[in-house]
Parts: sequence; C-alpha cells; structure tokens
Amino acid sequence: MTEPTHRRAVGAAIVAAVFGLLVVALTQLPDDHAPLPAVAREAMQVALPRWHITEPVNEVVYGTRGFDTFGETFLLLAAVVSVVLLTRPRERRAERSGEEQIGRQEEAGESSATDSDEREARGAEAEEVRDRDDSPPTPDVAPVGTPRPERAEEMTVVVRTAARIVAPVLAVAGLYLAAWGYAPGGGFPAGAVVLGVVLLIYAGFGHRRIARVTRPASVELVELLGAIGIVMIGLLGLFLKGSFFANWVPLAPEQTIRSGGILQLFSGAELIEVASGLVLAVFSLLVMRHDWSRDESDDPDAGTDR
Amino acid sequence: MIVVNYVAAAALLSIGLYIVLTRRNLIKMVMGLSIMEASTYLLLISMGYRSGSTAPVLLNPPAGKSPSQLVNGNVADPVLQNFCLTAIVIGVAVSAVFLSVVVRIAQHYRTLDADEVRRMRG
Repeated sequence: MTEPTHRRAVGAAIVAAVFGLLVVALTQLPDDHAPLPAVAREAMQVALPRWHITEPVNEVVYGTRGFDTFGETFLLLAAVVSVVLLTRPRERRAERSGEEQIGRQEEAGESSATDSDEREARGAEAEEVRDRDDSPPTPDVAPVGTPRPERAEEMTVVVRTAARIVAPVLAVAGLYLAAWGYAPGGGFPAGAVVLGVVLLIYAGFGHRRIARVTRPASVELVELLGAIGIVMIGLLGLFLKGSFFANWVPLAPEQTIRSGGILQLFSGAELIEVASGLVLAVFSLLVMRHDWSRDESDDPDAGTDR
Repeated sequence: MIVVNYVAAAALLSIGLYIVLTRRNLIKMVMGLSIMEASTYLLLISMGYRSGSTAPVLLNPPAGKSPSQLVNGNVADPVLQNFCLTAIVIGVAVSAVFLSVVVRIAQHYRTLDADEVRRMRG
C-alpha cells in the first residue's frame, strides 16, 4: 500500500508542532524533587487508620478514589456491551464458536475409545483430515472476510501438559491478587489474569473444553451480577453510613484477608465484572462471523464499485 | 533526569499521532492509538516518581522508618499510579471497541484501507 506524499508532509508538520508544544508543556511539570502533592499525602495518611490497609495504591483505587473506579468499571461495561452488539451474529448465539461444526459432528462411532480426551482428540483429527482439502493452507492466505471461521486445533501433548500445570497456578495467583488487599493488586489485574487462564486452556485444548464457561448468556449474567454487586456495595454505604462507598463492614486488623472492609468486597466484585467482561469481549472478537456483509453470490455488482 | 521520561512520552505520543494521521490501514491506526495510550502510562508513572523514593507500601518500611514517617517521606505518588491503572483499563476497552468496528468494516467492504471505505460512501 503506497501512501501519498502530501499526507506524509502534512502529518509530519502537525506532529512536529504537537511534539514541540508537548515538550514545552511537559518540561514545566514538577520534577522528581518536588514534594508529594497534597492528595497523595492524604491517601498515604488515611490508608492505615481508616481502612486498615498497608497498600496505598489499592486504597486509592477502591477507597479514596472509589467513585472514579466505579465510573471506570461502568465504562468497561459499556465497552463490552458495544463489542457484544457490534460482533453479534444473526443466528442463535448459544453455541457461537469457530468450532461449532466440530463439536456437533463429534464421532458417534468412536465409542471404543476409553476416555473422553482420546475421543475428542480423534474427533478433531478426523475433522482436520476432512477439512484439509478445501481450507486454505494457513489462515494468513485466506482473503479478508471469507465466510470460513478459523479453526482452532488442539495443541501437542507438550503444550497441553504445560497448560495443565500452569493454569491452576495462574488461577490461584490471580485470585490472590484480588483477595489480599494489603498486597499490590486488585480486581482489574486479577480479572486480566483470569482471562489469561481461560485463553491458556482455549489455546491448549481447543474451544470445546471452555465452551460451557464462555457461553455468552451465562457470562453476561455473571458480568451484570458483578456490576449489581458494585452498585449495592456503594448504595449500602450511602444508606448505612451516609456517603457512597463509605465503609459499612467491620474492619479487621491490618494484614489480614478482611482488612480494608468494603475495599475487599469492591475488589472481589470488580474481579467478577472485569474477568467476565474481558472474556466476553475477547471471545466475541475471536468468533466474529461473516454475517453483516453482502453475499456476493446473489449481488452481481458487489465487486464493481470497489 | 525525569525530564527524559517526559520527552520520551511526548515522542511516543507524536509517533502514535503520526501513524494515525498518515496510515490508511485501519489496523495500523488502532496500533497508533495504542502507542498514544502507552505514552500516557509512561507520563503518569514518571510524574509519580520522586528521586530516591520507595514504593508506596506501608508494610515493612525501609530500615529505621516507621509507617507514619513514610507518609511524610520520600515515596512514589500512589494517586498517579492509580491513574495509570485506570488509563490501562480504558485503553483496553477502547481497543476492543475499535477492533470490533475494524473487523465489521473489513467484512462489509472487503478492505482495510480507510480511503476505500470513504470512497464507497457516496
């Protein structure tokens, strides 16, 4: 793709002007010897006495600037709703997946195979052989927007074993991030880690293993339950203590799992909401179908106005 | 020396802006936006840095300091670290929406070229 030169010249001029402005503006910022701003001091001071939490960043996220986090969560929810809307297929959604056909055509005659893993592997192999002739050799050479969804195949035994070992460790590490409030972390990174676990299993074992976990109907429900949980935590603070996101849970001593009061509840609800939201967004994008486009077979001039 | 980070952040934003302004490939535009987002992370973290500071953690303060001394002492700014977390989440959300739009455009127009899409409008 060749770029016209005038576009480059104009772009370079605008970018040079912006860069000059930014350098002038940013060098006026306080340097690294300036004292801490008042709001940072305040956060450092209230973390321990008010929330019994030794991790000021976590305290700022869910406590001092909890309302900001609340807005951010619902921005993420809005983005997930947009992605789900934009990527929705026309057909029924319950089983959306690139591997829908594979799942459906699972071998009926393979009952002699002893365990389900083996049967699944054989089914996938048979399907692969059957599909090989009419599919492009690699997804890269397929033209943009062809109707065939990409097929994810099960990985080798090395990858599967590694995934089996790593996935539980990763899952525990993710939940730890959200559960222990005096350690750095919180619901957002923990949610991203949970998404990582799901994607690891998807990459290693193919879609069927996680089909039940990523069914949109149930994940959407879980996500909205997380969002309702966050709203309820805030509203209970409003009714019981007089301000939104005020602490209404008895505080445990610092450096225990319940230190931080509603901070921990907020973080947990955030984990549910972020993990399910990211799973929804990623899988919506992964399995987008060729649905909204014109069908070239009954539209003779589809190719002419290009 | 933190000024170097500020200038680097400005340079990253300029690189991203140049890509968004001059490229015609929609995927490259989304990548340019991601680079612009990355510059804000660098800027926020650099602004939170204090020279010779420790992490803002009240657990196990460095030798000879109590947590209350740490509060008034030399630590990185926790509020700006929180801003950075917020920016990352928003960046993820924005990228997801843009990428789904790009896939729909690719499916509908059979092209990723922004100029082609514009020509088809009339």
